[in-house]
Amino acid sequence: MNFTFSEDQLLFQDSVRDFLVNEVTPEKIRASWEKDDGRDPLLWQQIVEMGLPGITVPEEFGGLGMSELDFVLLAQECGYVALPEPLVHNALVAVPMLKELGGELAAQWLPKIAAGEAKVAVGLEQNILVEDAHTAELLLIQKGDDIFALTPQQVTLRHNESIDPSRKLYAVEFEDSVPPLASGAQAAALINTALNRGALACAAQALGLAQRMIDMTVLYTTDRHQFGKPIGSFQAVKHHMANIAVRLEYAKAPVHRAAYAIANGQASASRNVSHAKIVACEAAKLAAKNTIQAHGAMGYTWEVDLHIFMKKAWALANTWGDEGFHKTRVSDYILAEDAILGAGSTF
Amino acid sequence: MKVLVTVKRVVDYNVKVRAKADGSDVDLNNVKMAINPFCEIAVEEAVRLKEAGTATEVVVVSVGAKQCQEQIRTALALGADRGIHVETEGAVEPLVVAKLLKGVVEKEEPRLVILGKQSIDGDNNQTGQMLGALTNMPQGTFASEVAIDGDKVNVTREVDAGMQTISLNLPAIVTSDLRLNEPRYASLPNIMKAKKKPLDVFSPADLGVEVTSHITQLSVAPPAERQAGIIVESVEQLVDKLKNEAKVIS
Repeated sequence: MNFTFSEDQLLFQDSVRDFLVNEVTPEKIRASWEKDDGRDPLLWQQIVEMGLPGITVPEEFGGLGMSELDFVLLAQECGYVALPEPLVHNALVAVPMLKELGGELAAQWLPKIAAGEAKVAVGLEQNILVEDAHTAELLLIQKGDDIFALTPQQVTLRHNESIDPSRKLYAVEFEDSVPPLASGAQAAALINTALNRGALACAAQALGLAQRMIDMTVLYTTDRHQFGKPIGSFQAVKHHMANIAVRLEYAKAPVHRAAYAIANGQASASRNVSHAKIVACEAAKLAAKNTIQAHGAMGYTWEVDLHIFMKKAWALANTWGDEGFHKTRVSDYILAEDAILGAGSTF
Repeated sequence: MKVLVTVKRVVDYNVKVRAKADGSDVDLNNVKMAINPFCEIAVEEAVRLKEAGTATEVVVVSVGAKQCQEQIRTALALGADRGIHVETEGAVEPLVVAKLLKGVVEKEEPRLVILGKQSIDGDNNQTGQMLGALTNMPQGTFASEVAIDGDKVNVTREVDAGMQTISLNLPAIVTSDLRLNEPRYASLPNIMKAKKKPLDVFSPADLGVEVTSHITQLSVAPPAERQAGIIVESVEQLVDKLKNEAKVIS
C-alpha cells in the first residue's frame, strides 16, 4: 500500500506555498485588520487566478474535481500563512455540502464558486457564530434539525469580536417564514459531514500554524544571542522546540488519514476526524505556548508577528467542535461494547 | 512568430546554500530547486508576447539532467506551448550550453530567443552572448523592455549610464534583466494542463555537439563570516586603525 502523497499533490502544495508565502505576509494581514470587512479583494483575485476556489468543485461545473485528500496539503499551507480569506472552508465545507445537496442550488452556485464570483458560508449550531458571513453571497445555516439556504437579503448579521483579528464572526438571524432546504435524516447527514469537514479544515490549518510558529522561533532563537551564544543552542530552548516538532510530526498522519476517510466515504470518518482535530490542535497549542516562551514572552505582544499565528491556533481549537466534543466522540467509539480495537481498526 | 525561451534549473533563491564538507561543490541534497529567476522573467515575456498576439508559439528549452523536466513543466504551466529537454550528465559550462542551444535554434528556427541574463548559481552572464556569437544573431542584453516592431525588435537595456534603447533585426537574441516584468504564478488548472503538453528530449549527439569541459572547479567555500565590530573612542583612533590595521587610507 502506498501511503505517500502523489507527485501531483506535492507539486500543487509547492506551488500554493510559493504563492501564499509571497503574497500573504504578516504586513498584509495587519493591513487587512484596518479594513472594515477585514478582507483584501486583490488577494482574493489572485487566489481566483490561481484556480484555488474551484479545486473541489466538480469538473462539470468548471472546477478541478479534486478531493478532500487533494486539498488537505493546501489547507496546511493556508494555515502556514494564517490566510484570512475564507478559502479553506469554502473548498472543504461549502462546496461538498452543495455537491451533496445537488439539484438547482448546486448548478447555480458551484460554477460561481469555481469562477471566484461567489463565496458560501456554512453555519452549524456547533459553532454558534458564522465565519465570513459578511462576504458570503449564499449562507447555508443549520437551525435545529433543518438546513436553510439564505441570501444576504434574508439575514441580519451581528458582528462579534474574535480573539483572532483576522476572523470575522457573525450571529446570523432570519425570519421563521423561510422554508428549510433540507430536514430530517437528510439534514442530519449533511450536518454531520459538514462538521467533519470543518473540523478537518481546522486540523489541517493547525498543522501549518504549528510549523510556522516553529520556523519563526527557530529564526529568532538563532539570531538572538545571550551569554555569547544563540539562545537556540541552550538545551532549555531546544527541548521546547523539539517537543513541538515531535507532537506535530505525530499529528500529520491522523490529519491525512482523516482526509482520506472523508474523501473515500469511509464509516470511520467521524472518529478519524475527531482524532485528527484533537492531536493537530494540541500540537498547535503547544507550539503557541512554547514559542511565546522562547520569545521571552514578547511573542504575545501586538508588535511581534507570532501572535497572528497563535491566536488563529487558539481560535481554531474551539471551532467545529472543541476538544471535549471530539474526545467524547473518540471515547464513545473505543469504550463501546462492540468496539473493534487494535491496529488497523481503532484509527 | 516563434519564440524560443530558455530555462535553467537552479537552487531556489530562498534557499541558503551550503558548501559540501569536503569543499568540492555546493550541497544539493534535499535542496529545493526552481527555475532561475531571470529565466522565469524570460518565460513571462515570451508568454506576454503570445498573449498580445505577437508570438504564435512559445517553445521552452532546458539543458541538464533529467530533473530539468520539472522546470520545463513549470514553464509550460506558465504558458509556454511545448518543451525541449537537452539531456546532459554532470555540470555543463556556458559555452557547451550555448553550442547546444545553437543546435536547438537551427532545428526550431525561432524569430526571437529570450534567455535570462544570468543564472543565480554560476552568475556567469555568458550564455546569451555566446549564443549570439555562435548563431551570428544580433543580441540585446540586460533588457528591461522588449517591443516587436515589424522585422525588428526594440530592446531597452539597463546599462551603467542609464537606459539604452537599441533596434535589432529579427531573428535576434534578448537576455532579460530583473525589471523586464513581474512573472505570474502558475495556476493549478494550468499545472494540470502542462502535463499534457509535448516535451521532446534530445541528446547532445542529436544536436551534433560534443560535451567537453574547459573548466575545472577547484573548490567551493562559504563567504568568510563577518567579524564583530568595535566601538572606537575617538576620531584619531578610527583614523589610526583605518591607516595601520585596515590599510585602506594612507
